[in-house]
Amino acid sequence: MDELTFRRTIYADPNTTDPDVVKAAKDDPSKQAFWDDIKALDAQMIAAASIPVPDNFAEKLILRQGMDEFSQHRKKRPWYVAMAASVAMVVSIGYMTLLAGDNGLANDVFAHVSHEYVNKEIMMSSGNVSTESINKKMATFNGQLSDEIGNIVSANYCYLDKIKSLHMIIKGEKGLISLFVVPDSESKDLKEDFSNDELTGNSFLLESAKIIVVGENAAEVSQLSKTAKVAFTF
Amino acid sequence: MFSRNKKASSSVSTDMMKKQKRYEALVKALHADIFRYAMWLIKDKAIAEDVVQETFLRAWKSLDSLKDEAAAKSWLITILRRENARRFERKQFDLVDIDDVAVPDPKDFGDVTLEHRELRRIMSGLSEEYREPLMMQILMGFSGDEIAEQLNLNKNTVMTRLFRARNQIREALTGEQTTGAQVNG
Repeated sequence: MDELTFRRTIYADPNTTDPDVVKAAKDDPSKQAFWDDIKALDAQMIAAASIPVPDNFAEKLILRQGMDEFSQHRKKRPWYVAMAASVAMVVSIGYMTLLAGDNGLANDVFAHVSHEYVNKEIMMSSGNVSTESINKKMATFNGQLSDEIGNIVSANYCYLDKIKSLHMIIKGEKGLISLFVVPDSESKDLKEDFSNDELTGNSFLLESAKIIVVGENAAEVSQLSKTAKVAFTF
Repeated sequence: MFSRNKKASSSVSTDMMKKQKRYEALVKALHADIFRYAMWLIKDKAIAEDVVQETFLRAWKSLDSLKDEAAAKSWLITILRRENARRFERKQFDLVDIDDVAVPDPKDFGDVTLEHRELRRIMSGLSEEYREPLMMQILMGFSGDEIAEQLNLNKNTVMTRLFRARNQIREALTGEQTTGAQVNG
């Protein structure tokens, strides 16, 4: 085997088992040395390529799927299947609080604002989220955040009733407030004001997107809505 | 009140649990490799994370179509590449060409030795047509045939690209050594 073919084969696959290559290396120590060199380089490359994975990333992937599964089953299946799915969910993740009545998008919003869900999001977030990284995510909605809306402690995509939305959690003075951005075309049936026993929410349209603000304190929710109306542009 | 539907309910629940277990095993075994691959493909941590989330969500939805666990890696990479391509289809995704931001944020890649940092810089500087097959080979452990199938190329083309990728890396490394020697001399 000539030198060039030998080198090409090794470069293309340092772990080759091609008998011609193996024989050539056996017959010629300089070829074997070259092969060893490239294997060492590959080991270095593999080490250098193994970048660290974000904290709790596996848990996050499992949690997201669980939320998505829950909203799908509640919609499509008969009640006993939904119940079984919920049981499975509760066993694996523990979201008993989600078994509210059937109120579509608003209920999914409430589910995503539950203490457990929000706490997990925050736990997995690195803390303060920069406007720059928000705007990277806002690009999906063809929008932009150009002003301060408060201390954003987490920002992540999530699925509200199968609609992809951006969920931001903002630290208010009296508690945490959630702000969702959803495409308007898919959220028409959501009321402007909605609430349950604990939470107050309101939604408003900004060009092509709908902003939903939800929290425990009605005054803070309304304050954040006012700020958001000016701070987001689409 | 459950007696009438008890059987149906518990078998559905068992199926769900099985699927859930299978999914969790898949995530635990492969999320790190898939994330790393996404990082080398996309070079932006936030976008890579999002694309991997989408990938696993799709994987969950069509988990039943994965018959053989041994094929899971290439199955996920197929989904990931499709999800990544979809970013460019969405016209509202008003991003600069990803190759224009060729220098990844060093923080995203974690703390490493100087040597590794240098190699990372060189590897991430490779053009995508060389970088992708190389990462499939060294990160995912794909064979030439598997890479050819993923990239929809013939195997000879793949082997040529792999050869050129390593050739470029070697040249970049020795080039730097030469420069170093000249400075010292």
